[in-house]
Amino acid sequence: MLHINLTSIMVDDQSKALAFYTDVLGFVKRMDFPAGEYRWITVAAPDRDDLQLALEPNANPAAKAFQQAMFAQGIPLASFESTDLDADYARLMKAGVAFTKAPTNAGAVKIAVLSDTVGNLIQLHQRL
Amino acid sequence: MLIDPSTFRRVVAVRGRLLANDEASVAELARDARISPSRLIRTFAALFGTTPHQLRTRVRLDRARELLAGGAPVTRVCMEVGFSSLGSFSALFTRWTGTAPSRYRAPAPAAPLVPGCLGMLASEPRNFREATPT
Repeated sequence: MLHINLTSIMVDDQSKALAFYTDVLGFVKRMDFPAGEYRWITVAAPDRDDLQLALEPNANPAAKAFQQAMFAQGIPLASFESTDLDADYARLMKAGVAFTKAPTNAGAVKIAVLSDTVGNLIQLHQRL
Repeated sequence: MLIDPSTFRRVVAVRGRLLANDEASVAELARDARISPSRLIRTFAALFGTTPHQLRTRVRLDRARELLAGGAPVTRVCMEVGFSSLGSFSALFTRWTGTAPSRYRAPAPAAPLVPGCLGMLASEPRNFREATPT
């Protein structure tokens, strides 16, 4: 049986990304070691060690172009689940996070969209 | 902060101009975007984690690094990327790279690993340079 337990997102600054994903969003660092001129960094939710997100450098020009185009079009590149979106929205707004969409009902879920400050829009969703 | 779609589009356009090394001042960029300079800086920082001025500096230093690695003389690089003072260019470059521009002449080292995607960690191509047909 196959499992999805690791995925990645491109970031334009790995140190800044690690700070945002841990200090602001509330994930915890799982791995951080040198990988060539960059680092292999993963974060995870505090209670889910089996699901990790790698913060990869967007040094590849193709990745950079893709990331910038998606951002300009307002398209999130990942979606994280929230168990209480209104509370997370209030907490993150207070922390100075930029949102491009406030919590909005969208059928079976409520969604909001924020900028991770390292090149990506991230959607938050809560199942209703 | 909650950013409305119109402001979002205008601030993203400013970022595009800065990435293209547009020489317009921040005040001019704000005027063209029909947004006050202070609001532009605040919104820009919230979206991108950096100010317009900081991004401009980073874009210029990135370009300087490429030119220096290609063997261009420091003074020409300084002028070409948009710095007017050799002193401030050298200080900024040194702080950013850890190497003085006058010593940053060797060809850019080939990255042993530029992940780019998870698959590249375990198989060929090992980085985007190898993945790009010549």
